[in-house]
Amino acid sequence: MATRKLTRSEQVQQTILYPVDWLEERSGLVGGIKYFLFRKVPGDINWFQTLGSATLTAFIVQALTGSILAMYYKPDPNSAYSSIQHITNDIFAGWLVRGMHRWGASVFIILMFMHMGRVFLFGAYKYPRELNWIIGVLLLAMGLGEGFTGYLLPWDQTAYWATVVGININGTAPFLGPFIAQFLQGGTYINADTLSRFYAIHMLMIPGAIFALIGLHLYLVIRLGVTSPPWSKEAAGTGSLVPAGQNGHRSGLTRFRPRKGKAS
Amino acid sequence: MPSDRVVERRRIFQQYKADVKERGKPFYPYAMLHDTIMSLVVVCVIVGLAIVWKYTTPGDHHSTAAGWLGKLYDKPADPGTINFVPRPDWYFYFLFYLLRIFKWPESVVLGTIGIPTICLVLLLSVPFIDVRTERRLSRRPVAVVAAVLVVLSMGILTYKGATAKEALGTELLADVPHWAQKQGFQNNPKAVAGAKIFAVAGCLNCHQYLGVGGGFAGAPNLSAEGAKNKGIAFQIAHLKCPACVNPGSPMPSFAGLGLARLTLLANFLEASKGPK
Repeated sequence: MATRKLTRSEQVQQTILYPVDWLEERSGLVGGIKYFLFRKVPGDINWFQTLGSATLTAFIVQALTGSILAMYYKPDPNSAYSSIQHITNDIFAGWLVRGMHRWGASVFIILMFMHMGRVFLFGAYKYPRELNWIIGVLLLAMGLGEGFTGYLLPWDQTAYWATVVGININGTAPFLGPFIAQFLQGGTYINADTLSRFYAIHMLMIPGAIFALIGLHLYLVIRLGVTSPPWSKEAAGTGSLVPAGQNGHRSGLTRFRPRKGKAS
Repeated sequence: MPSDRVVERRRIFQQYKADVKERGKPFYPYAMLHDTIMSLVVVCVIVGLAIVWKYTTPGDHHSTAAGWLGKLYDKPADPGTINFVPRPDWYFYFLFYLLRIFKWPESVVLGTIGIPTICLVLLLSVPFIDVRTERRLSRRPVAVVAAVLVVLSMGILTYKGATAKEALGTELLADVPHWAQKQGFQNNPKAVAGAKIFAVAGCLNCHQYLGVGGGFAGAPNLSAEGAKNKGIAFQIAHLKCPACVNPGSPMPSFAGLGLARLTLLANFLEASKGPK
């Protein structure tokens, strides 16, 4: 009886897990996600180390609200301004989506700087994580580029004149400057095509690059691991190895108490 | 053969991996819980800002009235405008203010391109400048001092950029009779009319004239522009397309003002021979 019941429940389990196994057999994704979730991180990590994922969250908010705005926004000098008014005043919760995108940009940029400051003070850019620091700096530059190109899109006075001067300042750079200015404007002067060009850069080119760089950034975080706070007495990598079994009294955010009787 | 430093840092990383394997905690649920809480806080802050932005804006939201967090939008873009204030979003104020520090034409490229490029290159090379394995702040005085200086200077530049006063066209109009008297063009109606356009068209957001205005992005002082005797035709051509006449000029085109206004402006500039 007992064996027969077990077999049945096993059968049910197998039926439920079949799609998961199917996916795992063909992609290895399930194993990858398991590795991501259950990989070990140092026990003494700290609230400051949540700034990276907070930055990612802010970026996801930007991507989602930006996609919704793109459904209503018209990147053409004759209708851009009125489409922004339409979003703000007529569309259901349009003001909320636009406000979240407008202010999410500031939050995203602040969080990028704070995350960078944390990595700098923790010395987390040191061997073997140099490459991830470089990717992070590129992401910061891309984020500022998003801020610059997005500022023009409401096509109001502030946006227009700040961008005219911004492009002209780009144009003063030696050698490459005039080419950059011409590329941004889509011509020798700011014109009707400039707005749609900024729109394409803002919602296709730079976000695509940001997605790719975030992927690399996370891959390296998972591959190389998270650093302990430098002041931690049990910082991983300092060689102060606590013998197994005595690790129940450690301070830190992710306090972990091994179960008694289980070999650790 | 690898140097001692390379051997040492490899050993430390191997030790790190062994330590984490030995005493680390799984990412889920421990670290993930805190990441999730922090992410929720971020989303709440963003939603909160959006709500404050909308609900502190007075009037119907078709107007350009400003709430606590500024306007919902400014007036529609008008390339033919006769008054504009070039002001970027707040997180660019530090760059914006750099352009006010480097106001002389010869040095402006330092503010626009030089310093930002140097900062970016320095930032990229941080891991190659600081190659020691030491991570404790008490043993990294140079890094700490550098971090404090960067935060201080960016904070001060952002603050100065936020509080920098633009020249207001309506206030500057009151200066026109004073300019006419000092430059001696009271009896030249075209120059006086041009001076009024000059006052309201935003020229003084960048240029300086008889001690008022700008000093932004390397724009020259125009108090004695007429003494160069470049001629009305040159001034009009320059106002229409500054970079065509003066390659590399960051000044925007004022062709939108129309030929009649540009002619008056040119007359004003040519009549400005310097204070008497």
